[in-house]
Amino acid sequence: MIEDNRELTQNIIQYLSHEGIICEVAGNLFDAQDKILSYEYDCVLLDLMLPDGNGLSMLEIIKKREVRPNVLIISAKDALDDKIRGLDLGADDYLPKPFHLSELLARLKAIYRRSKLGGSDELRFNEIIVQLQNLQVHVHGKSLDLTKKEFDLLVFLIINKNRVLGKNAIAQHLWGDYTDNLSSFDFIYQHIKNLRKKISEAGGKDYLTTVYGIGYKFGDHQS
Amino acid sequence: MKLLNLLTSVYLIIIMVALLIGGFFIFKKLGEEIDFELGLELDRQIEAYAERIRQGVSPEALVNERLEIIELPIQLEEEQLNLRDTIAYHDPLNREEKQLKASKSFRIADKHYRISYYNLVIEAEDITETVVYTMLVVFFIQLVFLGLFFRGISNRILKPFQHTLQKIQQFNFQANKPLHFQKSSISEFNQLNEFLEKMTQKLLKDYRQIKEFSENISHEIQTPTAVVSGKLENLMNLDMTEEQALLIYSAYQNNERIHRIVRSLGLLAKLENEEFESPSQIDLSDILIKNIELLSELVILSELKLETDIKPEVMVKMHPFIAEIMVHNLLGNAIKHNLNGGWIKVHLDRHLIKIENSGASIQHDPDELLQRFKKESSNPESIGLGLAIVNQICKTYGFRLSYAPVGNIHLTTIEFK
Repeated sequence: MIEDNRELTQNIIQYLSHEGIICEVAGNLFDAQDKILSYEYDCVLLDLMLPDGNGLSMLEIIKKREVRPNVLIISAKDALDDKIRGLDLGADDYLPKPFHLSELLARLKAIYRRSKLGGSDELRFNEIIVQLQNLQVHVHGKSLDLTKKEFDLLVFLIINKNRVLGKNAIAQHLWGDYTDNLSSFDFIYQHIKNLRKKISEAGGKDYLTTVYGIGYKFGDHQS
Repeated sequence: MKLLNLLTSVYLIIIMVALLIGGFFIFKKLGEEIDFELGLELDRQIEAYAERIRQGVSPEALVNERLEIIELPIQLEEEQLNLRDTIAYHDPLNREEKQLKASKSFRIADKHYRISYYNLVIEAEDITETVVYTMLVVFFIQLVFLGLFFRGISNRILKPFQHTLQKIQQFNFQANKPLHFQKSSISEFNQLNEFLEKMTQKLLKDYRQIKEFSENISHEIQTPTAVVSGKLENLMNLDMTEEQALLIYSAYQNNERIHRIVRSLGLLAKLENEEFESPSQIDLSDILIKNIELLSELVILSELKLETDIKPEVMVKMHPFIAEIMVHNLLGNAIKHNLNGGWIKVHLDRHLIKIENSGASIQHDPDELLQRFKKESSNPESIGLGLAIVNQICKTYGFRLSYAPVGNIHLTTIEFK
C-alpha cells in the first residue's frame, strides 16, 4: 500500500487483515520503490498524491518488474485525466476516495481473480458455490436463477463475509457512483429479500442478518 | 447610445434653448431700440415743423400725408411728446400700414397747435425674421464646429479610453494575463487604467486561488472523510448495541453527505472555471441509451413506466464525462421525484433532449430549483445540487435549459445550439 495518510492505512489494514491479507505500507515514493524492487507483491494499492511526487510514476517501475503486481489506484484526485492516464499506464482499476472498505476488498479480490487465477475460480461459502466465470450459483448442487444484480450482491456479500455491510456500501457497489441521489435503499431491501428467498428455496441456510437496520451481514454466526 | 452622440445631443439641446432665449431678448431689445430711435427722429421732425410755423409759415401749407396739424384751444396745457402706434394710410405703399405716430403741441403766436407726425415702423415680422435668421446662422456654425470637434479632436482625446474599453473586452481568465495600458496624458484616464490594472491583477489572483481551492478541496476534504468512513466501517464490525449502531450509522450517512456535496461542488467549480476543455463531438444517443439501461432496474423497482423516443447518432459537442453526468442527473431526477406507478418519457433528437415525468406538483419557483441547494423534496438523501449541475453544464456549453412543471407533469428540455 503506497499511501501517506496513516489513519487511512490503519483502516485498510484493519479491514483487510480480517481476510488474511497481509499489508505492507510505504508512505512515500522513495520507500515504495525500495519495497517494490526488493519484494514480490500480489497487489499494489497506489495513492497518487504523495509527499515526494505523483504516484503515477510508480507505474513505470512496476511495469518493468518480472512478476508484475496488480495495481489499484486509490486517489482523492477526482480528476478524470488521472483515471484515464492511470489505466493507460497499466493500472488495473481506479477507486476514487473516499471509498467503502468493503468495496476496496471486492475490487482487490476481483483484480486478483482476473489476473492471478485467470478469472476461473469459484467462491465457496459452505453449501453455496459461486462460479464467477459463468455467473452460476449452486446451492447443494442445485442451480439458482439469479438476476445480474442479485448475483453481484451475493458475490459482494460472500467476499465481505462476516462483516457488517452498510446500506450505502451495497448501494454504491450495485449501482455505482452516481446513484447517490436515488433512494436506492428500498431497492437493496428488494434484492436482499429475493436473494434470501431463492437461496432458502434451494435448501440453503439463511446466512443473512440485518444489523439494527443499518446494514446487512452475511455469515455463519447469527448475532 | 454612444457617449459622443449623447454629448452632442445634450450640447445641441442646450444651444437651442440658449439661442431661443437669446433670440427673444434680442428681438425685444431690437424692437425697443428701433422704436426709441424712431421716436427721437419724429420728435426732431415735429420740432422742425414747429420752428417753421414760428417763422411764419402757415400750418396749412405744411400739411402732407405724414403731417397733421390741429389747432387746439389756447387755454389747454402744452402736450408733451406722445408716441403711439396707429394704422394709417401710407401713400407710397398705397395701403393701410402700421405706423408710429408722434404728437406734441406748441403755443406759437397766440395759437395752440398739435403737430402729429407719422412714420412707418419696422414691423415685428421683419425683426423676427432677422433674429431667426441670425440665430440659425449661429446655430449652423455651432453645428459645423461641433462636428469638427467630435470627429477630430474628441476622438483623439477619447482614444485612450476606447483603447481601455477594447482591452477590457478582450480580457479573459484563461489567458491569465493582467491588463497593461499605455500612459495617457489625461490624468483621469490614467487613474482608470491604474485601477483596472490593479483590479485585473486581483481578479486573476482570486481566480487562481479559487481554482487551487477547488483542486485541493477534493483532496483535502475527501481524505479525512475517507478516514472517517473507514473508521466507522471498522466500528460497525465491533460489538455494538443498537443505540451505538444507530449513532454510527447516522455519522456514516452524514459523512457520505459531506463527500457528495464536496464532490458536486468541485464539479460545479470545474465547470464554472471551464476546466473541461476541448469538447469533442460525442454520440449523445449512445450515452443516453446506456444510462437508461443502467437505471432501468431502478425504473422497474419504482414501478415506473418508461417511454423512449431516441433518434440514433445525435452528435453533440461536449465532454463525454460531462454528458454522462448531465444525462444521469436528468434521468435520476425523473426517477427520484416521481410518483408511485408514474411514468417517464425521454425524447432525443438533433435539436433537443426532452424528459417528461409525472411527479408531485411543486411549491417552489421552478427557476429557484435550478440554484444550488434549493430542493423541493424534504428527502435528506437529496443534496439539491443535481439540477444546479445540469444548469451549469448548459451554461458552459451554451445550451438552453428550461424546466417547466405544470401540475403533476414535470418537463425538462435542453436545446442544443
